[in-house]
Amino acid sequence: MDKTLILRGVRRCSTGRFLAWLTPWTLLLAVGLFALGLCLVRGLNQTNMDNRFAFGLWIFLDLAIIALGAGAFFTGFLLYILRKDDLRAVINSAVVIGFICYSGAVLVLMVDVGQPLRAWFTFWHPNTHSMLTEVTFCITVYLTVLAIEYAPILLRNRQLRKVPSFLVFEGELHKVMPVFAAVGAFLSFFHQGSLGGLYGVLQGRPFAFREGFAIWPTTFFLFILSALATGPAFVLVSTWIVSKVSRKQLVKPHVFSLLAKISGWLLIVYVGLKSVDTLVWLNRTAPQSGANPVQFYAWQPFATWLLFVEIVLLGLLPALIFLSAKRRQSMKWLITGSLLACGGVVVNRFVMTIQTLSLPTLAFEPFMLYWPSWQEVATFLAVVAYGVILYSLSFRYLTLFPQERELQRGGGAS
Amino acid sequence: MIPGVYEFSWSAGHIIFLGIFYGVITLVLATIVVASFRSLKSGRAGRAEAMLWHLDFEDLSPEARRCRHELSGETRSRECPNGFDCRRCAVHPQFLAARGESADPMEEQRIGGFLLPADRSYHRGHTWVRRGDDGEVTIGLDDLGSHLIGKPDQIDLPAPGSRLAVNGTAWELLKNGSSIRVLSPVDGIVLRHGSPGDDWMLEVAPADDDLSHLLSPSEARSWMLREVERLHLSLSTGFAGGALADGGVPVDDLSTEIPPGEFDQVCGLMFLQP
Amino acid sequence: MVGEERVARYGMVIDLDRCNGCGACMTACAVENNIPPAQPRVNERTGLTSMRVHRASNHRGFPDHEEVFIPISCQHCGEHTPCMSVCPQNAVDVNPLTGVVSQIPARCLGCRYCMAACPVHARYFNWFDPEWPEGMERTLNPDVSVRMRGVVEKCNFCHSRYQAAKAKAAAAGSREIDPADYVPACVEACPSGAIVFGDLSDPESDVALAAKSSDAFRLLESLGTDPKVYYLSEREWVRRLGGADVTRDSLEVHRG
Repeated sequence: MDKTLILRGVRRCSTGRFLAWLTPWTLLLAVGLFALGLCLVRGLNQTNMDNRFAFGLWIFLDLAIIALGAGAFFTGFLLYILRKDDLRAVINSAVVIGFICYSGAVLVLMVDVGQPLRAWFTFWHPNTHSMLTEVTFCITVYLTVLAIEYAPILLRNRQLRKVPSFLVFEGELHKVMPVFAAVGAFLSFFHQGSLGGLYGVLQGRPFAFREGFAIWPTTFFLFILSALATGPAFVLVSTWIVSKVSRKQLVKPHVFSLLAKISGWLLIVYVGLKSVDTLVWLNRTAPQSGANPVQFYAWQPFATWLLFVEIVLLGLLPALIFLSAKRRQSMKWLITGSLLACGGVVVNRFVMTIQTLSLPTLAFEPFMLYWPSWQEVATFLAVVAYGVILYSLSFRYLTLFPQERELQRGGGAS
Repeated sequence: MIPGVYEFSWSAGHIIFLGIFYGVITLVLATIVVASFRSLKSGRAGRAEAMLWHLDFEDLSPEARRCRHELSGETRSRECPNGFDCRRCAVHPQFLAARGESADPMEEQRIGGFLLPADRSYHRGHTWVRRGDDGEVTIGLDDLGSHLIGKPDQIDLPAPGSRLAVNGTAWELLKNGSSIRVLSPVDGIVLRHGSPGDDWMLEVAPADDDLSHLLSPSEARSWMLREVERLHLSLSTGFAGGALADGGVPVDDLSTEIPPGEFDQVCGLMFLQP
Repeated sequence: MVGEERVARYGMVIDLDRCNGCGACMTACAVENNIPPAQPRVNERTGLTSMRVHRASNHRGFPDHEEVFIPISCQHCGEHTPCMSVCPQNAVDVNPLTGVVSQIPARCLGCRYCMAACPVHARYFNWFDPEWPEGMERTLNPDVSVRMRGVVEKCNFCHSRYQAAKAKAAAAGSREIDPADYVPACVEACPSGAIVFGDLSDPESDVALAAKSSDAFRLLESLGTDPKVYYLSEREWVRRLGGADVTRDSLEVHRG
C-alpha cells in the first residue's frame, strides 16, 4: 500500500505488519501522554519527587539519553570534519537517534519544570554564572541544528525527492552540512560539559562538588569525555538492535569495528582521568569542604560497590574489550562491550543525580531514597515509544543505512 | 536583559556568553538563508531534474555505474564519475581518439534475445535515438525496455514544445502499479508524439548535434550483454547469483512473468531509478 | 545608591539551648507568608515550611540521652550564594543593602536547581496548587503575595515587614529604619525568645554581640558560603552538629 514511499531496492515488511508493529508503541505513547497530561494539569505532585529529591527519574534519564545521543554529533564530527568516510554507513541513523534523544529530553524537561510556559525566561533573564543557562541555550540551538540535519534525510524520501523545490533545497543543505556538523560539535561539547558542570559546581553538596579549571569543574570535562566515548557504542548497539528487529544486514562489519575502536580509546582515557579525579576528590576536595569521604558510601544501596561498578565493570572492562582487535571481530563481544559502556554512562548520570540528592548534608538529616511514581515512568516510556515510532517510520521510508541495498544484493562482504 | 530594567547590567560574562550564542545562532540562520537563496536560484534555473538524476545516480550500485569504456573492453575497471554524461568527461575524447575509426556493423544484432538495430544510438536508460533527415531525432524505448514493460497501463508523454534534458524525464510509464520515468537521451524540444503504428515515441528537435554521450551500435553490444546479465541477476532471488537457465529468449511481456513485488525493483534497476 | 544608605547585613542568632521545639515559629511563618493548608497527599517531604524545626539527639542511652531542636530557615548565605549563582533565570535576588536573599516567584521557572544547590535544604517547591477553603481567604496576609504552583519559595526574612518598616521610617522623614520595627514573624512568635534578629554589621546590636559568642556556630561553615544565621549552644555535641561530616550521626536509613 505504501510501496511507493519505500525506496526501491530494499525489502520492507508489509503495511499490515508494520502497523501491527507500531500498535503497541502507539498504545504506550498514549498511556504516557495521559500521564504527562496529568502532570501538566494537576501539577508535579503527580510525581514522587519532593523537596529532598528535587531531581528525580526524569532528570537522571534526560542526562542519560543526552549522553547516549552524543553519538549523533560525534559521528558527524568524525565524518565531516575528520573525514572518516566509513561512518557514512551510520550517520543518518545516528542523526535520527540524536534527534529523537534530544527532542525527547526537551519534551520531558518541559513537564519537569513547574512552569513550562516560562521556559523563555532563561533567554530573557540569563544568568551567565549558571551552568543551567548554558545548558538551556546550547540544547535549544542544538535541537534546531539536529532538525536541520534531519531535513535532508527526510527530503530524500522517494516521493519527496520528486518535488523540485525540496530536491534543490536538499542539495544545497547537503553542500553546507559541514558547517552544521562543526556547529553541532561545538554546541555539543559545551552542553555535554555543562550538564556535568551542573553538579560539579554545587558547593553545598560535597559529594558532587569538584575542583576544576577556571570556571569549569572536572565533571565538565568528564561528562564530555564519557559522552564521546559512549556515543559510538550506542550507535553500534542501536544499529545492531535495528538489524536484529528488521532481520537485515545494514552495515558492513568493519564499520562496527571502527566505532568500537574509537569508543575503546576514549573510554580508556576517560577511565584513567575519572580515577584520578575520584582520588583527588576523596582525598582533597571533599575533606576541604569538611566532609568525611566515608559518608558518601555509608548507606546501602549506594555503597562503594557502585563506584566499583561504574568505573571498573562498566568503564575499564568495555574499554579493554574494545581495544582488543580480536574481540572487535566478534559481534558478541562488540555488543557486550557496547552495552557495558552505555550502562556505565547511565550509572554515572544516576550517581551524579540521585545519589547526590539521597545523601544527607547535615548531620541530623537522614539518608533518603525515592521511587518514581507511575506517572514518571509512563511519561518516560512515552518518550521511548515516540522514539521507536519515529525511528521505525524513518527506517521504513527513508535511507538510514546506505549500505543496506548493497548488502542485500549480496555484495560487499568484507 | 535590556539595560536599565531591574538592575540589569552588562558584564564581561554577559558579553562573552551571549555574544558566542547569538553568534552561533546567526551562523546557523545565515547558512539556512544562503542555502534557501541558492536553491531558489537553482530552482529557477531548472536544475531540479539534474539534481534528481545526480541523486539517483549516486544511489545506483557500483555494477550499474560502469564506464562505457570498461564495458567495451578499452579499459580495466572504471566507474563513471559524470552521471553517464560523456560530453562533460575529460577522458572520453581521449578514448575516442585512441579508438580511431571503426566500422559499425550494418546489420542489427540480437543480444540475449533482445534486438539492437544498427541505425540508431543508445542511451543507458534503455532508450534509443535515431537521426532524421532534417536534423530532428526520434526517440523510443529499446527492446529490453519494451519487453520489460510490455504494454504499459498508462503513458504520460510530454506536450509538444516542452523542453527535454539529458538524463531528465522524457516520459512516464505506469505498469502494474509501478511508475517509471524514462530518461531522456537528448537535450531538445519535443515536436510530435509518435502514433501507435510508429516504433518511436517522440520526435525531438535536438539542442545541438553532440550525441557523443550515446552508445554506438558496436558499443551497445557489450553494454547490452552486461544489461542482460544485470537483468538475470535481478530476477534471481537469494544469494545464488545468476541462476536462470542459459540459452532461453525472453517472453514478450516480462511484466506478466515477474512477481509484482519484484517487478518494481527490477524496473528501478534497469531504468536507472534506484 | 549604595553610598547614600547604610549597608546592613541582616542576620539571626538562634539559641538552641532555649528552643523547646514548640513550633510556634513554624506556625507564625506559615501564617505570615500565606502558606495554604496542606492537601491530603502532602507529607513532610512535600510541604512548605520556610521555617522548619529539626530534631537531633546525641545518640546516647539513658541517662545521658539529650535532644536538641534546630529551627532552620534560609541561612541567607553571603558568599558565593549557592542558590543565586545557579538560578538560570536570575530569580534569586541578593539585596546589596540588606544582604537578604529573596526569591522572585514571578520569574521562577520551577527547575529546582536551587533546591539541589542549597546545602541546608531550606528551599521548598510548590508541588500543589494553593487552595484555601471557603472563608479562609480572610486570614490571608495582604502584604505578602501568594505563590503559584510550580515555583520555589523560601524564607526571605519577612521582607514585607522590612518594607513596612521602611515605609514607616520614610513617613517619619528618616532613611534608616528603626530596628524595633523590623521583626520577622518567627522572631516575634518564639515564646522562649530563642531567636534574635538584627543587623550583624551594627557592632552594638544584640545579634552581632550574640554572633561573636564563643558558643556560636553556623551550619556547614566549612563550605564557605558565609551564612547569616548563627546558632548558640553551650553543649559541644550540639555545636558539632553544624559540621559537614555527617558520619557522627544519622546512620539510619529512612525510606520516604
